[in-house]
Amino acid sequence: MSLFLQQVVNAVALGSVYSLVALGLTLVYGVLHIPNFAHGALYMLGAYATFFLVTAYGVHYVPALAISAAAIALLGIALERVAFRPLEGRSPVHAMIVALGVLLFFQGSAAALWGADFRRLPTPFDGVVSLGGLTITEQRVIVILAAVATMIALHVFLTRTLAGMAIEATAQDREGARVVGIDTRRVAMLTFAISAGLAAVAGSLVAPLVLVSPVMGEVVNLKAFAIIILGGMGSIPGAIVGGYVLALAEVLGGTYVAFAFSDVIGFAILVLVLAIKPTGLFAKGV
Amino acid sequence: MQTRGAHRSLGWLLTTLLLFAACSGQENGHGANPGSDVVNIGYSGPLSGGAAYYGRNVQSGLQMAVDELNEAGGLEIAGRKIRFNLVSLDDQYLPNETATNARRLVQQSRAAVIFVPHAGGVLAVQGMNTRDPFRFLLMAYTSEPRILESANPLTVMIPPRYDHYAGPFVRTTQDRFGKRLGILPTTTTYGRTWTEVVTREWQAQGGTVGRNFGVDYNTTTDFSSVVTQVLAEKPDVLFLGGPSQPTALVVRAAREQGFRGGFLMMDQPKFEEMVTVVSLTELEGSVGVHPQETYPASGVPLFVANFRKRVGPAPVLVSEIALNYQAVHIAARAMALAGTTSDVDAIRARIPEVVSQLPPAIAISDIRHVNELGHIVRQVYGAHVLDGKYVPLPIPLGAEPTDTAR
Repeated sequence: MSLFLQQVVNAVALGSVYSLVALGLTLVYGVLHIPNFAHGALYMLGAYATFFLVTAYGVHYVPALAISAAAIALLGIALERVAFRPLEGRSPVHAMIVALGVLLFFQGSAAALWGADFRRLPTPFDGVVSLGGLTITEQRVIVILAAVATMIALHVFLTRTLAGMAIEATAQDREGARVVGIDTRRVAMLTFAISAGLAAVAGSLVAPLVLVSPVMGEVVNLKAFAIIILGGMGSIPGAIVGGYVLALAEVLGGTYVAFAFSDVIGFAILVLVLAIKPTGLFAKGV
Repeated sequence: MQTRGAHRSLGWLLTTLLLFAACSGQENGHGANPGSDVVNIGYSGPLSGGAAYYGRNVQSGLQMAVDELNEAGGLEIAGRKIRFNLVSLDDQYLPNETATNARRLVQQSRAAVIFVPHAGGVLAVQGMNTRDPFRFLLMAYTSEPRILESANPLTVMIPPRYDHYAGPFVRTTQDRFGKRLGILPTTTTYGRTWTEVVTREWQAQGGTVGRNFGVDYNTTTDFSSVVTQVLAEKPDVLFLGGPSQPTALVVRAAREQGFRGGFLMMDQPKFEEMVTVVSLTELEGSVGVHPQETYPASGVPLFVANFRKRVGPAPVLVSEIALNYQAVHIAARAMALAGTTSDVDAIRARIPEVVSQLPPAIAISDIRHVNELGHIVRQVYGAHVLDGKYVPLPIPLGAEPTDTAR
């Protein structure tokens, strides 16, 4: 039983990161219909930004995380403005190619600028919490709490503020949104900013647990795409639920079904969902 | 508007590509001056992707030796002063890319000596390096003994074989911690064969081995759940190994979940790199390869001083830097003795002679001899972390494959 509970705790921490990354990805897809392959690179850059703020400038981890999120959000705006806006109204294939190019560009730049070293981000939350035989590190507690807080903040923003509702409206119907006077280009920029910021938060949260390197975003990127397909492309609850479902499936499947198949189990669920409900768990009515 | 957008995006794409070309252009050696007295040394290793850190380390060792040779005015070979130039190509750890790169290095750069730092790549090029028109001397930096099986006459195996570590490592950890082994190595081909060797040895010395919980160290984001599983078997010792930094994360996860036993490490993770991620206290009770900077060999202090003078105090000195550095010197001296920079058989034939008379600054490990399969046989040390100190663990050289009649 304690093995089961320990694994659930492990899975929830992992799922929190998955969900945060998938949220940014699904947001951009929902509003702009761009599969942003560069999302994993923004996650990586966010981790690097926090790493340098903490180690080179001595900023405390928490404000460093906020500054990093803001900086990467600005980068997201620049990305939309420079790389994706010129492709407006063209075949989505073009946007996909540009997204891939941006991914390679960021990864290559990071490797050229900072080297291929693995770096470790020190965290002030380095302790271990033990509770009735279960152990969890403080940083994982922070990851879970921060992820949940971010998700709630995003929900409030999208449903309670004018800018958030403009994003929702654009996601539902771009033409219609334009008709009622929403500046969809500003919405596009805002969406990219939020998406990039979420990626940076996820990268910075996970950086003390894993290692910061130019390729750290690759696997997470792949998982995030699986999650948003599972949850329904463009669906926000889908990304959140999908993230936790994938993490639980991987961890518990690996423990109780067959260890060697832990990576396969996640994708088996994906295939199953697609077979029964091809639009994903929380598809929006199209 | 459409065409303008297209032009602009095309412009961006081109800019990106150009920037890339500019970045990757740096791969190609430092100041390749194509004068007639410059000899190219080839290198195909992972310079981008997940293993780039390792590939760059090997490259820096090779480059340091090339720089040293050139700063000394070059080496006199057959009456001419020869300078060297390192030509590096990226293979991203993919064996088929290594084969392509080796062809390019032979044909375009006229390289007679090529360094390859991974078993897959070595096995891939062993099929071609003895046949015209691609004959070259393969300097293999991998501890995988399988590369000796084909008895390739133009292969030199640089590092110690990993199977020699198993016996002493198993004995040390069993004596200190107990007989139950938990298995959590990386799942590369190399990781799997290491696991087989350790499993056999552990059982031969009377221990019990748990299930294999191997995971791919390069693609695993969070080790905590797999560590929970392996610890549920209550092992006394954990068998780990993969690149140093992920291995250190596994160590950390195990300690966080209350594991008090020892760690038996492959020869891939290096203590000096792991301590950048975990503390030596967390590594207490580990056995692995001995750190290079304090390796028990006469030439080490001199080499370390030279290395530090060049790169400063920050970079971690690992064996892949040191041994590849040494191997370039060996190859260059073999050229000098053979009086040729292109006759690969003559160069190979002089290697045993060269290693028996290395000057002190290059004698960074105690080389015994080069055996008939081209393996540079050295006195090898593991290290046992005991009370926060690295205690050297001499590794008996064991039977070479010719003796065991493979």
